[in-house]
Amino acid sequence: MATFINASKRPTLALPFLLPSCESASLELRRCQSTYRRTKQRLRIKPDASFGLSSDKIQDHIIYNPPSSTSSVYETPTKFLPPNDVRRALRSDAPSNSQNVDELPPASKSSPEKRYHLTRSDVEEIRKLRLSDPMTWSRWKLAKRFNCSPMFIAMACEASPQKKEIQKQVLEAVQSRWGAKRRMAREDRELRKESWGRDA
Amino acid sequence: MPLKGIRTVTAARNGVGAFILQCKRLDFHYCDWAGSSRGMVSFLKHSLPAFAKENPQIEIRVSPRPHKHPVIKGHYINGREKAVCVRNLEPEQILQKANLLKEASGEKLKRTKKPVTSINESVRGIWSPYHGDLRTI
Amino acid sequence: MKRLQLQRWSSSVLSSRARTGGRLQRHLYSSNRFQSTASNPLPSESDLAGEQSTASSGSTPFLKFTKRQLPSPPVQAARESAKLAALHARLYLPSRLPLETLARCLVDASADPDPQFNNTSLALLGNDLLSNYISEHIVCTYPRLPLTVIFAAVYAYIGPKTLAAMVREWGVEHAAFPGGEVDPGLLQFKRVAPGTDISAEPIRGTTRPNEDQTTWRRSITSSVVYDNEYGDPVMAPKPPADPSGSSPQPPVTAEQASCSLVRAVMGAIYLHAGRLAAKRFFEQHILSRHLNLSELFNFSQPVRDLARLCARENYEQPVAKIISETGRKSRHPVFVVGIYSGKDKLGEGVGGSLVEARSRAAVAALKGWYLYSPLEVRVPSSTEEPGAAPWKPVYVDLGEVIV
Repeated sequence: MATFINASKRPTLALPFLLPSCESASLELRRCQSTYRRTKQRLRIKPDASFGLSSDKIQDHIIYNPPSSTSSVYETPTKFLPPNDVRRALRSDAPSNSQNVDELPPASKSSPEKRYHLTRSDVEEIRKLRLSDPMTWSRWKLAKRFNCSPMFIAMACEASPQKKEIQKQVLEAVQSRWGAKRRMAREDRELRKESWGRDA
Repeated sequence: MPLKGIRTVTAARNGVGAFILQCKRLDFHYCDWAGSSRGMVSFLKHSLPAFAKENPQIEIRVSPRPHKHPVIKGHYINGREKAVCVRNLEPEQILQKANLLKEASGEKLKRTKKPVTSINESVRGIWSPYHGDLRTI
Repeated sequence: MKRLQLQRWSSSVLSSRARTGGRLQRHLYSSNRFQSTASNPLPSESDLAGEQSTASSGSTPFLKFTKRQLPSPPVQAARESAKLAALHARLYLPSRLPLETLARCLVDASADPDPQFNNTSLALLGNDLLSNYISEHIVCTYPRLPLTVIFAAVYAYIGPKTLAAMVREWGVEHAAFPGGEVDPGLLQFKRVAPGTDISAEPIRGTTRPNEDQTTWRRSITSSVVYDNEYGDPVMAPKPPADPSGSSPQPPVTAEQASCSLVRAVMGAIYLHAGRLAAKRFFEQHILSRHLNLSELFNFSQPVRDLARLCARENYEQPVAKIISETGRKSRHPVFVVGIYSGKDKLGEGVGGSLVEARSRAAVAALKGWYLYSPLEVRVPSSTEEPGAAPWKPVYVDLGEVIV
């Protein structure tokens, strides 16, 4: 019970557990607190206010205290629930913090909006240009000219085999100058990238 | 293929469905001549049939080991074995030892520091500083 | 010297079955076996059939030398084996399942080629039951799972590796070599010679047409038709060379023999104790094992898949937004990115770069979609019981996202 009394005497600071319990001791004279008991004592944080029993009235409400962690994948998002699922109605009552969604900054620069402005003749022209002069008309240049993404160019047409051969040789020339460290770092990066879709 | 399945193996949870007793065999060794086996011989004669009937999951073998102290050996599913010397013990004490071997898991004895070990996911997830009720200082 | 003496003494008390572990005995038996089967297999074939028929009739007492000539332990030996009774009790098998059937479950086809004495037929039935129960459980509990993940989940529950692990956890020991003198409580199979490369040869003789065309694409949908319950190729049944079916079988690995044991026990329970007992056995020993389904997914293009999914389901296009971040200009930044469709959050992920966090968020959103589970789950086999409520159709999904 001594610790309890001690805690109640403590001034109500924002983060009381970071300060030593003995306030008179200065920082220079503080003893080493690496023992198990002292560390535990420092970590004995007061529970959140929402947990506490309010002394004046009897509790008859549900304490809502969401975990500070990412939600489990087994918890289906409300949008993904089928329309006749009971949980959809239950969750509509729950408080949602979706008011500030529009204020959040986007994670990617590109706008996901699709325009569909290219016609069949445009695609034909893309194919013709890329076959006629592959060195000049690269994917990026074609994309800039037709105001679409390089991804669309790749979907519309394929490079000629000669161009592919040249590009392969260029890549080999570049890679031949890599040392062991750079090669390993690049391979590791690829492996890490594959693990994004695999990790839980 | 955009999505592949990863092949794994399910993990056993003994006791969640069926409970499989880890002791699979008990060997009782005795000596007909030596005095240290007197309690063991009496145990084998009188209490062993009842013990075997109570525990049908355990295969029981009785064999003499002349000029040696009596021993109970337990063989376990994990491949280990435990032997207890029961020289000069009374039949009741031997029954206690046999029960001890029956209830053992076969693992080496070690101190358990945590009261619960589980492979289930934590209900509240792993704490992360970027989630939950963020405080402004 | 002392060790030898102990063996000699104990052998006077131990039964003949328990003595098989002795080095001396094993040597004697193995030499005897070589004389009987390996050197002249042809005459012993005809002898065996006659001896087994007399042994199975149960009236004539069998002699020791005939026992050693049998390919598997005689039926009468099942009642005398302590190991077998202990295994029966350890697995909580129903008392209506006799020890003789359990002994038959432990004999693999490679040990005894006679289909009346090995577990092939029981294993066939048990495998069908197992795959039926587990697939209906997975499909009804998680109706949106993609086929590749269903295959992986079925493999995790009743695949050969799991069944072999179960046999190990049941405490079933393997006989060194099958034979009539072996304790019936041991798993009997003819082992593959050590050093044999099992996966060396490509699989031939499957039921799939044009299997020699290795460059052809094998779609996941076609494996529903041609492959087994976990997407592995099925071997076509070979034409029986011998009408009696007693031609010698190729040796098998311990994993294959363990698989056939678990399946045969399941089939034997179904035959002797009925559907309810079989289902209880399945729930206690297979369904109770732990599997985290969310670890079975391997996405290669999660962001694209999620965009396709939202387009298919007529949701707004998913947009990635930064929820919080720290140390953007440092060596170890952390970004928390959420994927939103309109106002609703679909998933969120944490990563060291914005691309990584977005990709992980898309994975979380897709897993949230695929791992949907209805609240009240009933499987079709639950309507088989008398007095069960009528079947109500379960939730059926459109299927996985096809890009």
